[in-house]
Amino acid sequence: MRQTDAQKNSDILFVGIDLGTSRSSVSSSNGVRQWTESFVGWPKDFIAQQVIGKPVLFGSEALENRLSLDLCRPLEHGIIKEGIDRNEDAVKEIIRHLIGLANPGPGQKIHAVVGVPSDSLKVNKLAIRKAVSEFVHSLMVVTEPFAVAYGMNVLNNALVIDIGAGTTDFCIMHGTIPAEEDQKTILSAGDYIDEQLFSYLSEKYANSKFNRNMVRLFKEKYSFVRDIPDEIHVEIPVDGKPVMHDIKNEIKRACESILPALTETTTEMIARFDPEFQIKIKNNIILAGGGSLIRGIREYLQDALKEYGPCRVSSVEDPLFAGSDGALRLAQDMPEKYWEQL
Amino acid sequence: MIPVFSRNKQLRQRAEILRGVYEDNLRIIGRRRTKLANRKTRILKKVSLITFIAVFSVLMHGNYLHPPFFEERQVTAGLISQRPFSSPAAPDKKMVEKDLADYRAFVTNGGPPIKRTFGLGIKTIMIDPGHGGADVGTTGKLGTREKDIALDIAKRLKSRLEKYGRFNVLMTRNEDITVPLNQRVQLALSKKADLFISVHLNYLPAKPINIIETYYFGPSSDSKVLSLAEQENAGSNYGMSDFKEIIEKIGNTMKLQESRRLASSIQKDLFQNFKKDAGNAYDFGVKRAPFVVLLGVDIPAVLAEVSCLSNREEEMKLNTAGHREHIANYLEKGILDYLHKGEETYEADRRAEKL
Repeated sequence: MRQTDAQKNSDILFVGIDLGTSRSSVSSSNGVRQWTESFVGWPKDFIAQQVIGKPVLFGSEALENRLSLDLCRPLEHGIIKEGIDRNEDAVKEIIRHLIGLANPGPGQKIHAVVGVPSDSLKVNKLAIRKAVSEFVHSLMVVTEPFAVAYGMNVLNNALVIDIGAGTTDFCIMHGTIPAEEDQKTILSAGDYIDEQLFSYLSEKYANSKFNRNMVRLFKEKYSFVRDIPDEIHVEIPVDGKPVMHDIKNEIKRACESILPALTETTTEMIARFDPEFQIKIKNNIILAGGGSLIRGIREYLQDALKEYGPCRVSSVEDPLFAGSDGALRLAQDMPEKYWEQL
Repeated sequence: MIPVFSRNKQLRQRAEILRGVYEDNLRIIGRRRTKLANRKTRILKKVSLITFIAVFSVLMHGNYLHPPFFEERQVTAGLISQRPFSSPAAPDKKMVEKDLADYRAFVTNGGPPIKRTFGLGIKTIMIDPGHGGADVGTTGKLGTREKDIALDIAKRLKSRLEKYGRFNVLMTRNEDITVPLNQRVQLALSKKADLFISVHLNYLPAKPINIIETYYFGPSSDSKVLSLAEQENAGSNYGMSDFKEIIEKIGNTMKLQESRRLASSIQKDLFQNFKKDAGNAYDFGVKRAPFVVLLGVDIPAVLAEVSCLSNREEEMKLNTAGHREHIANYLEKGILDYLHKGEETYEADRRAEKL
């Protein structure tokens, strides 16, 4: 895309933000690429504030101090709960934090594209705009899988599957901005795996002490489907003593629990299209989001879909920044006259 | 040549997508594409209107001073004035039948609300957001809790009703705290509430549909309703020593009739507006159920299941402030329709609003 002079002007900082359920990232035209876990915590009381020394904490810092904080994960289920929780405030804080990480110069205008889970765009359009617009001069909101597709230049005959924490978003690209019927969201995603893993481990190791955060870390480190040669042993305290636990089977069962819904929805999305295009789409399936890092998931899906004819599934190279990089590319490609209106 | 053609095609596609993103975002903030387009449209509309009026005047020339509908109206008026008067003397039997019909209408559902018949004023309205504190009520698949939504809708309803300046609107809870059902009833009694509206959300595990239903106190043989009553009555803090009083209150038929009227009015407004706005609601109607919270108060009392958390689309919408405001608005309309039923000015205004 040809840029106008105004866009090239260094007075404007273009920012792409991926506001994720579990992690949020920012990529900006000055070369900054940063991420944070999508947790926000406020000190529970005056004493906690004195101890922590900050009015608000983010990401891993918030998680480390969670006992002293009112912890909030604003997009936990892929949508913002407007006005009935601190979700809106938390989104605002995350955006403020991410924009700060982008390091804009003094007086520099910020033009931002924000990618959000599909359901959130459907439901919280105005709330997101309200939360973000305070910190930027001009703003556009898009869905995460669409931002990924745009960033990878996959604009036609492709299916992007963004396996996030709260939701798995499906988005079919066919040369235009995807409509509502081109997108679908299911709740079989990272958090669902965590729940399953927590319950399997609680069942197998009833006397061991572990929490949901530990379970999430186990999943992120060891997740796989089908088979892997290595053993998986983790240290979990039992009566205060660290004891090694074999969790390979539980990890496998938990990760595989999302596969039926994933396969079923993929075939359903493809089947919606004209048979002529179905072949093209089947050969251009892209896995994105943290879930695409599950070992063996790409191969599993490719084999499962072979039943319906030849297909090719690939994964994005950098799931953490694929959304924000795509959003940044959108921001930079957007003609200046469009920014003026928003 | 092929790569150049392909590149041009891709650039066009990209430009199309960028415009799509821009237009989508304009729609979010409720703006149209450009001011120029607006002005052009307005000018075109004006020109079309003037042309239409000019053509119409020319075609109607010589005829528009005596349009036929004037004559029709005069004829109709003439017919009415020529209608013979009915005989003033009616047989006694008919009068008795009329008295009976009046009485039936009074004690059943047909007549105006008792508050108007007896000139009773509705001063205090008690809104009861269901559940709270340790009792979360039902929880949707996205983690939305009944207690939070019920409280938010109740607060919105309260501020809507307060705007009229003639109601003292109270709530059984203003925050996320546990309030036993007997305390809610005691609160309504001690504050001398005139109406009691309990706000709840439904959950149908077997069916992913959104249903609207409104309850007033009464016996029910429906096992599902009884099961729901069991859930909602949990933690009522009533003891068996209260049984006599409970039985006495069951006989309070006037309260039941008024509660049924209030329930009908709320159900009608809730369902019709839900259907109009989203089209995803099912009308499960007005029902009787033995909810303890409705029994305890001696005033018209209803329990409205204003939405359904088991429906994913509806749950997503319930997380938007706008949708909750709409539900509060439907409840407000239902209450006002009940209070003003039969009042000509109010009903004319409502009809005009609907038009």
